[in-house]
Amino acid sequence: MIDVKNLEKNFGKNNEIHVLKGITETIHKGEKVVIIGPSGSGKSTFLRCLNLLEVPTKGQIFFEGEEITNPKCNINAVRQRIGMVFQHFNLFPHLTIMQNITLAPVKLKRMTKEEADKKAMALLERIGLPEKANAYPQQLSGGQKQRIAIVRALCMNPDVMLFDEPTSALDPEMVGEVLDVMKDLAKAGMTMAVVTHEMGFAKEVADRVLFMDEGIIAEQGTPDQIFNNPQNKRTQSFLSKVL
Amino acid sequence: MTWFNAWLERLYQTFIVADRYSVLIDGFKNTLIITFGAFLIGLFIGTVVAMIKVFADGNPKLKILDVLCNIYITVIRGTPVVVQLLIFFFIIFVSAKNGIPVAILTFGINSGAYLAETIRSGIMAIDKGQTEAGRSLGLSRMQTMTQIILPQAIKNILPAIGNEAIALLKETSVAGYVAVVDLTKAGNQIKNTTYDNINPILLIALVYLALVMIMSWLLGILERRLRKSDRR
Ligand SMILES: Nc1ncnc2c1ncn2[C@@H]1O[C@H](COP(=O)(O)OP(=O)(O)O)[C@@H](O)[C@H]1O
Ligand SMILES: [Mg+2]
Repeated sequence: MIDVKNLEKNFGKNNEIHVLKGITETIHKGEKVVIIGPSGSGKSTFLRCLNLLEVPTKGQIFFEGEEITNPKCNINAVRQRIGMVFQHFNLFPHLTIMQNITLAPVKLKRMTKEEADKKAMALLERIGLPEKANAYPQQLSGGQKQRIAIVRALCMNPDVMLFDEPTSALDPEMVGEVLDVMKDLAKAGMTMAVVTHEMGFAKEVADRVLFMDEGIIAEQGTPDQIFNNPQNKRTQSFLSKVL
Repeated sequence: MTWFNAWLERLYQTFIVADRYSVLIDGFKNTLIITFGAFLIGLFIGTVVAMIKVFADGNPKLKILDVLCNIYITVIRGTPVVVQLLIFFFIIFVSAKNGIPVAILTFGINSGAYLAETIRSGIMAIDKGQTEAGRSLGLSRMQTMTQIILPQAIKNILPAIGNEAIALLKETSVAGYVAVVDLTKAGNQIKNTTYDNINPILLIALVYLALVMIMSWLLGILERRLRKSDRR
């Protein structure tokens, strides 16, 4: 579904900050990939390259066979099929929950207003927040905001969902409700790439765990391999700190 | 109370005789028309210029437009509005008979340069995450700007926009330099025909003051409403 070839990313005026140093990776349809690693290792940058929120410096990314790193690619059309959830939710504060969810599908003519409203309501029922349809983001708790952010991305019927530390900005008691929504999504067969520090979630949901360190994927494997029998010294030392 | 009666008589001579107050009413209307029209034009130009400047950041294709916008802002902010008025009326629109459309255009172009900077800073103050959320959903740059960023930016800078409208109202008082009879010019004309050097000038000062106070009051109501919607 997503093919990444020799991805490199540099930041800075003269590209002096080398953040991603050659990543080759494939994410298959229906697969749940969890990305772990120390802060600053390039996890967010990697994820954000997948929908071109960051433009790669070198390498290619293919989405369903289409090269999205080709300048001729219509990236807006591709992004409609890639949902993204951010650490800080990024709900639109001037819009109601309903408007937050339906803005993109309606403006992008994926659905009529009625269809979008109906779909949004069904999704809100699914996460148990139908009564918040006409509320504004400021009135919600962090956990509720993040669940709405997930629903907002889902309303576009994406083929894959990217999560960048979706629970890191939450109070501890709200982490569970967000992870539950993500687990449901995983069970429903969604293709997912998740950057997280929630190792329990990784063990339970991941088909594959990628350990990133200093801009490369230093080690990868099943949750069992990574958590119970890590080969790389860096992985071992990272896990000893977080587990 | 003889001085009071004398003053009333003076007012009567100055404003009522020969229906001279009608000049003031026309001038008042023209001031409102020029201010309102110029404000709309300024808001439009300011928004477009602000958007170009924001989009040009990191997009070399818009470099030329960005340079043109910078020249526009520098020239407009670097010359007095009266001079701009003279240029528009006597150099660019030489054959214009009616000064009002020229005045609306001039003040609009002038106000646009100031509003552009205000609006641009309003746009820049919106969290980058808002743009990223919009773009990640597949919305274009333009859709993200008009649907997500601008509504929030305008709301935040409403006080500054209101102040620009108030400044604009007062600035239109130089419209009389070209063939426009605005409120100030009307007062001046009455002063010249009646040799009453005091009352016409004090009257128009009071009218400007009242207008500004009304605008501030309306702005206050608007701001309080918006703030309430934040607390909802
Ligand atoms: N826009 C940027 N400009 C400059 N440096 C950046 C930018 N974004 C990320 N970086 C740098 O890239 C490195 C990796 O960042 P990031 O991908 O956010 O790491 P992670 O998500 O693993 O914590 C960090 O050192 C960070 O400072
Ligand atoms: Mg990160």
